[in-house]
Amino acid sequence: MLKELLGKELLFFDGAMGTLLQEQGLQAGEYPENWNISHPEQVIEIHRRYFAAGSNIVLTNTFGANRIKYENQEYSLREVVYQAVAHVKEGAEKGAAQGRKSFIGLDIGPTGQLLKPLGSLDFEAAYEVFKEVVRYGTEAGADLIHIETMSDTYEVKAAVLAAKENSDLPVTVTMMFDEKGNLLTGGDVASAVALLEGLRVDALGINCGLGPAQMQPLLIEIRRYTDLPVIVNPNAGLPQQRNGQTVYDVDPAEFAGAMAELVKAGAALAGGCCGTTPDHIKMMIKACRELPLLRPADRQRTVVSAYGKAVEIGSIPVIIGERINPTGKSKLKAALKEQNYDYVLKEGIKQQDAGAHILDVNTGLPDIDEAAVLREAVCQLQSITSLPLQIDTADIGAMEAAMRIYNGKPMVNSVNGKQKSMDAVLPLIRKYGGVVVALTLDENGIPETAEGRYAIAARIVNEAAGYGIARKDVVADVLTMTVSSAAESAKVTLKALELVREGLGIQTVLGVSNISFGLPDRPVLNSAFYTMALQNGLSAGIINPLSVEMMASYYAYCALMEKDVNFEQYIRQYGQGAKAEAPPAQEQNMTLYTAIEKGLKEEAYRISGELLKEHQPLYIINTHLIPALDVVGKGFEAGTVFLPQLLMSAEAAKAAFEVLQENMSEHGQTEQAKEKVILATVKGDIHDIGKNIVKVLLENYGFEVLDLGKDVDPEMIVQTAVDQDVRLVGLSALMTTTVGSMETTIKLLRDSKPDCKVMVGGAVLNREYADMIGADFYGKDAMQSVYYAQKLLHDK
Amino acid sequence: MDLRLRETLRYLGYGKHAVDEQTYRLISESFRELESVVRERFIYRIFNLKIRDEELLWLESFSIRSRNLVKNMKDCRQAAVFAATLGTTTDQLIRRTMVSNVAKAAVMQACAATRMEELCDKIELEIREQAEPDGRILRPRFSPGYGDLALEYQKEILNILAAPKKIGVTLTDSFMLTPTKSVTAFIGIK
Repeated sequence: MLKELLGKELLFFDGAMGTLLQEQGLQAGEYPENWNISHPEQVIEIHRRYFAAGSNIVLTNTFGANRIKYENQEYSLREVVYQAVAHVKEGAEKGAAQGRKSFIGLDIGPTGQLLKPLGSLDFEAAYEVFKEVVRYGTEAGADLIHIETMSDTYEVKAAVLAAKENSDLPVTVTMMFDEKGNLLTGGDVASAVALLEGLRVDALGINCGLGPAQMQPLLIEIRRYTDLPVIVNPNAGLPQQRNGQTVYDVDPAEFAGAMAELVKAGAALAGGCCGTTPDHIKMMIKACRELPLLRPADRQRTVVSAYGKAVEIGSIPVIIGERINPTGKSKLKAALKEQNYDYVLKEGIKQQDAGAHILDVNTGLPDIDEAAVLREAVCQLQSITSLPLQIDTADIGAMEAAMRIYNGKPMVNSVNGKQKSMDAVLPLIRKYGGVVVALTLDENGIPETAEGRYAIAARIVNEAAGYGIARKDVVADVLTMTVSSAAESAKVTLKALELVREGLGIQTVLGVSNISFGLPDRPVLNSAFYTMALQNGLSAGIINPLSVEMMASYYAYCALMEKDVNFEQYIRQYGQGAKAEAPPAQEQNMTLYTAIEKGLKEEAYRISGELLKEHQPLYIINTHLIPALDVVGKGFEAGTVFLPQLLMSAEAAKAAFEVLQENMSEHGQTEQAKEKVILATVKGDIHDIGKNIVKVLLENYGFEVLDLGKDVDPEMIVQTAVDQDVRLVGLSALMTTTVGSMETTIKLLRDSKPDCKVMVGGAVLNREYADMIGADFYGKDAMQSVYYAQKLLHDK
Repeated sequence: MDLRLRETLRYLGYGKHAVDEQTYRLISESFRELESVVRERFIYRIFNLKIRDEELLWLESFSIRSRNLVKNMKDCRQAAVFAATLGTTTDQLIRRTMVSNVAKAAVMQACAATRMEELCDKIELEIREQAEPDGRILRPRFSPGYGDLALEYQKEILNILAAPKKIGVTLTDSFMLTPTKSVTAFIGIK
């Protein structure tokens, strides 16, 4: 019933609950939700007043009623929610005018904790918390689920999924932005809207934090991105401190006028938040009641988003970085098999720095658990970059796992014309949101003609429409076949691009480099083809952003086709300024020893390569590398070398090692098996820079570090030690409250792996503490841990 | 040497030593990069203060047991409580830097700590102007974790300031502030 009205009729929410309860005697620090049970009459009366003022949707007094925030043991959560819903119902019966449409909105607010990776709350744990409230509220008879005052897109995703997967009720969402349109956790309007639209909420908007006037520009911006009905629930102005109390400075009359402006600007649902009263709502409704509802803007933008950032695929070409893909990359293959994501993260950052707008993430390898690996890769990547990701996999389980925990609206590669593929992939897009890449192949293979490929694209678009997936969320990949096996391949692809753009009006994606397979000097062909494809309507090329030639094609195309205002990008890349920063003159005849001692990474890398022409790797390591590291380490202990220098030397040594190791494996020299050391920041602690510093140093000294990360369960540490037969574990903790976890971990280790030693470190620790909790060694600084490890494991 | 540099070097363990050129460059770069992502937010309230005995004080309805804090707030009639943060984007930058450059990340961490202190100084200035201008003195700021002032009090502080909602600062189950570059503190007002 409510669903039919959304967007067709102007609807009104209620106003603030908290302030009214306080007027009735709610104490500071008392849970408002408790009043559903302890003061039911007062709660019902407030609801009645709002219905009487004309509100259509009144929210239950359950803002903080979730397992994390509501720690009161007096009443059960279930009871609180049930009563809350019943009270709104009674308020409607007593207060709503005859024939007026009245709805009970289950109010869901934030948990008050930050989700991983920025905080410590697991996404799925947040989901479970919201699920519980959704179930109670739905059972109790709410008419819709209203998720509000959210300032984190990740948390909102958990809440919306919980609502959609555990209830059939309409779902409306409002988020809290600041005046500039930013969420507290860094997101913006475009990315929030992309996410919510993808999750198919029934209406979205803004609440709290701002007064009506401040919300106007945000409302206008939201309407630029979506045609969903928009909700505005502002505060009664901005808070002022008066006599130690917080007062809101906009009175009912002023509020009403301002809200009328918002409805004229396109709001489809209006209400109030902090500081608003039934009077505010009454006057607002009076001022707005006769206003016409603005037609939803027809928004056909193709947008993907990540935490904090949205990218539009449209008239300005977009670069999708292709490098995170194990095909032909033995190092990446090895890293993924070992579940070492550093390589993935480094490639991500490199591509971002080189100008990629979106990152393709593909971890497809036989004999790994692709769902687990892809999921982890996405999690880790989205913790260090806010570029949107393209989830690239043929494994449906992996696709779903990654899409579920993705913070934003992803690009999904891919669906194709085979019925089986469409049946599997399109439901995922409908459920989690995303822009799906449609490959123009089907059960009969890849059509040889452009018209054939166009036909498949059309079919996929149609099928997607059946799932409620709009055209703007389907992009076509008309496929690039290599010219060396079919001479007209390039022409076919180029024609198909045109047909799809004009005939279907959708955006396009293409993996460009396949065109030149089998021919020499591939970059020459690839970059030319890239330009031709851009000219024929390619919206997003999947390319290597580290390729000078490909990027040249990109920048030149944009500059020539008026897609680079004032040639700003082009000049920044190629102008005099870019060339002016010549690298500092290289010292001639610098030794590797000196390069490492001085922490010169580039030089260390270069010189190692040169030394290899005349010497064996082991010789270089023993004569240059280790002595240099030793000197630096001793200097650190003596207080003449400081942490940044120590680390720069370590990084230089690492660069040198990479060169030497590559040489050794090329010559079939297997490395000596390295001693393994486990490093972890204990459960409850998320500080990890100290641990990471120790890791770099230990690796320098020839140890294999199993880095379990931060906030690690004791069981996980012990299991790994047992499974991999590790004889040294390093634990780090930065807080007094987490030293307890250290003690637990050590005890567990003693029981299960008595031959394993434990060294501990971290600002909060000292000798006494370390002894108290049963550690074998207390490392007061990074080098101490290295010396201990060496003594323990190397000098036998 | 300017204060910012000096403080950062202190965090890095340089003591009175001169800084080498490479580290200096890392410090400059780090501050520059931080500046482009830092989103400062803070919130504070001023309460009337009652000291019960040498280990118990009341900030209106908020009671705190800590000898060290009581000592710090001796002779004060009011106290300000604040929470501040450099935002999640700061954490993200440090995390990203750690992937490709541990040395720079360590330096950036120290720079962020300095920056955090600068924000706290700024807040203190504002509180000083708020407190009646009769030459009232502010005590040195005192945070949970100092002396015997338990970390657990951060929970109450964030609650009374509505910090999660107003500035996005939350507390994990093990009493760690998130985003990590965040601070809560008391400032006694004599």
